[in-house]
Amino acid sequence: MANSQTEIPTTWTTGWTDVLETGTWRSAIPVHAWQPSPCHVRCPVGGAIPEWIRDIEEGDYHAAWLKVVENNPLPAVTGRVCHHPCESDCNREQLEGPVGVNSLEHFLGDYALGQGWELTGPAEERGQSVAVVGGGPAGLSCAYHLRRLGYEVTLFEARPELGGLLRYGIPAYRLPREVLAQEIGRIIDLGVKVRTGHPVADEAELARLEQEFGAVFVAVGAQRAKRLPHLQEEKEGRILDGLGFLARVAAGEVPELGRKIAVIGGGSAAMDVARTARRLGKVVSVIAVEKREDMPALPEEVGQALEEGVSLFDGSMVESVDTGGSTLRLSCLKATPDPEAPEGEIRPLSVEGTEFTLEVGGIIVSVGQELDSQGPAVVLAADRSIVQVGDDFSTWRRGVFAGGDVATSVRFVSEALGAGRRAARAIAAFLGQEGVEMPAAASSDEVVTSDDVNVFYFPPAARATREQAPVRERMEDFREAVQVLSAEEATGEAARCLSCGTCVECDNCFIFCPDMAVKKDPTRNEHYYVLEQYCKGCGLCVAECPRGAVVLRQEAR
Amino acid sequence: MSIKPTAAMTEKHILLQGNHAISYGVMRARPQVVPVYPITPQTPILEKIGELQLSGEFDVDIMTAESEHSAMSASITASLTGVRVFTATASQGLMLMHEMLHYASGARAPIVMANVNRTIGSPWGFWPDQTDSLAQRDTGWIQLYTESGQESLDTVIQAFRIAEEVMVPTMVVHEAFYVSHALEPVEVPKQDAVDEYLPRFNPEHRLDPDRGESWGNVVNQEMFSRHRMNLGEAMDRAPEVARRAGKEYGRVLGRSYDILENYRTEDADILIVGFGSMCGTAKVAVDEMREAGQAVGLLKLRLFRPFPVEAVREAVRGVPRLVVMERNFSPGVGGVLHQELKAALFGMDNPPKVHGYLAGVGGMNVSPRMIRELVDKAMVDEPVSESVWQR
Amino acid sequence: MAMLEKSAGYPAKNYDIRESDVFSSGHSACPGCGEALAVRYVTNTMGPRTIGVVPPSCIAIICGPQPYSSMKNPVYQTTLEASAASAAGVRRALDRLGKGDTNVLALAGDGGTYDIGFQALSGAAERNEDMVYVCLDNEGYMNTGGQKSSSTPHMAYTTSTPGGKPGGKKNIAEIMAAHRIPYVATATVGYPDDLVRKVAKARDMKGMRFILVLTPCLDGWGLPDNAAVKVSRLAVDTGVFPLYEVEDGELYTINHGPRGVPVQRYFEIQKRYAHLSGEDMGELQAEVDHGWELLQARVGCMVSGRKT
Repeated sequence: MANSQTEIPTTWTTGWTDVLETGTWRSAIPVHAWQPSPCHVRCPVGGAIPEWIRDIEEGDYHAAWLKVVENNPLPAVTGRVCHHPCESDCNREQLEGPVGVNSLEHFLGDYALGQGWELTGPAEERGQSVAVVGGGPAGLSCAYHLRRLGYEVTLFEARPELGGLLRYGIPAYRLPREVLAQEIGRIIDLGVKVRTGHPVADEAELARLEQEFGAVFVAVGAQRAKRLPHLQEEKEGRILDGLGFLARVAAGEVPELGRKIAVIGGGSAAMDVARTARRLGKVVSVIAVEKREDMPALPEEVGQALEEGVSLFDGSMVESVDTGGSTLRLSCLKATPDPEAPEGEIRPLSVEGTEFTLEVGGIIVSVGQELDSQGPAVVLAADRSIVQVGDDFSTWRRGVFAGGDVATSVRFVSEALGAGRRAARAIAAFLGQEGVEMPAAASSDEVVTSDDVNVFYFPPAARATREQAPVRERMEDFREAVQVLSAEEATGEAARCLSCGTCVECDNCFIFCPDMAVKKDPTRNEHYYVLEQYCKGCGLCVAECPRGAVVLRQEAR
Repeated sequence: MSIKPTAAMTEKHILLQGNHAISYGVMRARPQVVPVYPITPQTPILEKIGELQLSGEFDVDIMTAESEHSAMSASITASLTGVRVFTATASQGLMLMHEMLHYASGARAPIVMANVNRTIGSPWGFWPDQTDSLAQRDTGWIQLYTESGQESLDTVIQAFRIAEEVMVPTMVVHEAFYVSHALEPVEVPKQDAVDEYLPRFNPEHRLDPDRGESWGNVVNQEMFSRHRMNLGEAMDRAPEVARRAGKEYGRVLGRSYDILENYRTEDADILIVGFGSMCGTAKVAVDEMREAGQAVGLLKLRLFRPFPVEAVREAVRGVPRLVVMERNFSPGVGGVLHQELKAALFGMDNPPKVHGYLAGVGGMNVSPRMIRELVDKAMVDEPVSESVWQR
Repeated sequence: MAMLEKSAGYPAKNYDIRESDVFSSGHSACPGCGEALAVRYVTNTMGPRTIGVVPPSCIAIICGPQPYSSMKNPVYQTTLEASAASAAGVRRALDRLGKGDTNVLALAGDGGTYDIGFQALSGAAERNEDMVYVCLDNEGYMNTGGQKSSSTPHMAYTTSTPGGKPGGKKNIAEIMAAHRIPYVATATVGYPDDLVRKVAKARDMKGMRFILVLTPCLDGWGLPDNAAVKVSRLAVDTGVFPLYEVEDGELYTINHGPRGVPVQRYFEIQKRYAHLSGEDMGELQAEVDHGWELLQARVGCMVSGRKT
């Protein structure tokens, strides 16, 4: 018989079950950890989108703006022109439609300009200098990030003003000049030295930069228009390229083209050309080899163009043009892109029996861009179509880096901004700064998908749309067509964000644990922790996390 | 409400039926909660309690449960919450309570219950038969049997003291009509005397948020076995505790009781062994037989559970014969007292011969003449192992 | 909608719930058990000044093996049919001891409420015993392996009705309302704020208060470990189990009714309904619709000048 003092009484309890470690039952444990949201993964600039959207909802616009400009110094620009891949994968799509990330960035960007907020400069000067060649988005971004990392930056730009395609390609009705000027000015105000009207013409000049500076970043873009073989320049200047057309209009010059024009191409640039021509009073037809739904231009751009009276001949190509005569006669027919064409190349296959003709006063060809035939791009590209760079944006010349349209065929403003940012870090690492490496990209199985999100917690809310001026009004001149959201609309739209993968301390995991094994701790980044001795691994916390910020990890035993 | 002094407040003899005598005894014992459900022939107990409460003499909470099972369930929890509890039933009601009787003793809840012996269906009957309480002999309750209203009143009060000392529930049993409804002069003791005899119930372990203890979780085999052993140990102490309680009752309240009663048992050739109302008739028969020169006595058992083995052996040492007359029947084994008595005597040197007669089953009348006849038979016949039906 | 009005800033909690610390970890409920979640909210809302009564049920297992309890307030385990009677005994004793401020909570399963425990429950209700009686309803005798109770719904598989239960689910909330006790309510773990509000409201009333909580059983209903909350929400959103309150047997308030979700969505994730045909679904949808109509009819009637 056991000692009566150690005998367990058979009636009346003496303690509580918290001495029993039910954690031994489980085979998987929940982990509170930030998970990449699909918008974050798609954003070329790597923005912490759910986090700054949350700041907007809380009314702290400055905190939101600071988070945005941590990566992207031109939010008022991108808020207008970004192709917003973030919205394509947005998990809110399964409800009423993706969150208007682009419109929110637009809102923040404009608000910041209105408040006169300044960008933060470097914490310390490192005493080294870098040359950035090219004042477009990639160059401006790289200059900004380098400056913040503590380097002296001199920015070389061939044209009279900074901006690159932002100024000379994108029309003012999409990106007002003042906005562009203010946002660029803000970067320059950090102490970037600027040399406009200063092309780096050849290898000798490049070599001089390599001597004078610790490193060089080449971001001269791809500003030579591609031409179609049967639509080369003609003696009376009635066949233009899109880039040239837009640059001349941006400089205040209106080319003489007759009343009717045809625009060849299906991308954003072709839409810019078409809509610019409309504002100049032209009758515009767009001929695109892709079917409308496959056109590279954003659907909203095509829609706006059609609203503005552009005629679209999609799935069509120009077989030949007759330039003799007072008008140009285009012989066209239906076509489909050859599915076996190599990546990046469009090879139309004509469909017999679908011929039609167009008579126009001018043709503007907008079928893509190529590297310039002179300048540092030529030096670096060595007869290839783009400059080859490593993962760290380095070229074959030690100390010379390249990024943006010059070094990739994925040509978007945000991609260029992202390249500038990553290249700046690579350059800093090259120059010996420690701890500047980019974090590893998120793997595809970490991204929060619609399965990981619990839509019960998100009541329906229609997507806020930015208003457009009526067509007639906006065609009068190059005023901005789209209006920014109001603060109220922005707050409402921000509230639609599911905050995928980013905990907002809603306490669901804490509330739904039958074993009280999830505890709150505001001092931790993760806000919560799991009591390993009790958690049975049921996964209720994971299922009820509205935003997939808790995941189950298998445990090896 | 002002209290009118009644006969109950003073030591006086009142003409009371046996059931009402119990009610007065209960009132004196001051239970806090009385859950009850009516059944013939127990109803006068709860009716009188109800009257005493309404008049203001008895400050108690009466819970009119919707069945006996619920009455006992509520009794257990009220007791475990730390108050003194009383309930009463009979026959079918006791059967329905059976599950909870086990539960009560396992819970060590010192409930006191009065049971009025009545035949159990089927078929239906309302007659005095002790099978109902005897069928509960394995439930872990202490059982005391009385033969009169006075004894019932006194025994109820003693029962609280016994139960609360050993922490085992206790039932006080008297028979339908012979005792329950028979009128006799009963002395109701004074309240302050009973208060001196019976201290306030204040258990250490109870359901109380300030104590934070719970009761009733699943236990393992070793714990269960030990629990039963503990209950057994408590039961084993009961005869001694009951003896002391009876003696103390005499000291404070004027009437002493023992766990068994020897009536004219000196130099007996044969003893009648019994319990309950039949003992009253047996005493008359014993007197008659003694008058006629027969050495006959009566050994009356007051305490039936635990079976007072030592005391009974002591009482029957050297007596050649015992005769049991049963007002109960257990199919397959016969009379319960007959069976338990033989078991108690097994192993004695020279045990008496034991005769068992099933006389009085189902409430059949057992007269002094029948008792004399059975004694005469027992003196002559060889005993048989089975109980013999007496017609 | 589950989402409450947003306050001026984050953290935007979906549920505003205050709990005391009565229920402990380390209990033996299955992982993800819906009933354990309900026990957490019921006991933590009733608070430490409560004595609980629990019959044999999954709840009893959750209470913990001797000598440990998973609840910091005292709990008495009774027999299966005796919950309400046992609770009444506690209440009577407490009142005699002058401890009227200590709550009494009966916490029983559906077997111990609808079937064998029903007599005691009805008796206690008739006497208007002062207690909160919470039935944690997992629609069967789950602790003993999943046999049918009178709470098991129509056509559900149980081990004692392997072809699907022939009769419907007893409407215990209506039966208790017919006793005209001060408070009757239905609740479930998928709407924890609603459950907590009702327990708190009941706690602060007097007399017999009855709350029916639908608690999915993962094993008995055939669900994955993480589904208890979701399936209980579906029960409400499909109209299978609307959440409502009845005061004094007359005043009906509907808190959460169906939201246009077809019952199929509720049935198709439970293995106990895997055998249902399309026709069966249609029949069950009609039953649910009819039940919802009847419930709605109870709201808003005028009787003797009082709106019910």
